Amino acid sequence: MAFDLSSASASGNAETSELQRMIAVEQQKAQFEAQVHTFTDVCWDKCMDKPSSKLDSRTATCLASCVERFIDTTLTITNRFTHMAQKGGMH
Amino acid sequence: MDGFDLNSSEKADASELQRMIAIEQQKAQFQAQVHNFTDVCWDKCMEGSPSSKLDSRTETCLVSCVDRFIDTTLYITNRFTQMVQKGAH
Repeated sequence: MAFDLSSASASGNAETSELQRMIAVEQQKAQFEAQVHTFTDVCWDKCMDKPSSKLDSRTATCLASCVERFIDTTLTITNRFTHMAQKGGMH
Repeated sequence: MDGFDLNSSEKADASELQRMIAIEQQKAQFQAQVHNFTDVCWDKCMEGSPSSKLDSRTETCLVSCVDRFIDTTLYITNRFTQMVQKGAH
């Protein structure tokens, strides 16, 4: 069965856009979850030495810094690479 | 939608099938989670070459590891949620 949304009738349009809205919400939730998963993988390696009986404040501080610095790093690299691509006219 | 109108006995079969699928999905999710913990905590807790038995120090580490990994995930989730809500573009 193919989902041919383009042939939706007038009465079906409201349902179609509601469905599209719901899909967009689920996609956003999935993107958020994937991002948390990436941060957790990266920052677990950087901040957790030997797991102890509780999450101490030093580790928590490290995790918070880690997330922020990872975002800063991504932005820096993005800007730099954009600059390189624009200058060098990459094919 | 043609072909999706079910009589009552077909409906009962369909919901039983949905129930069974949900159980299998839950089992698969559980297995995937165990696999993830094992990957992460093996690296953190298993030092040097594996020995002839799983000693209590390693076992304690593994238990802490799972708990702390969950704590870490929750902490980062909260933090990132705050960042997104604050910075919302």
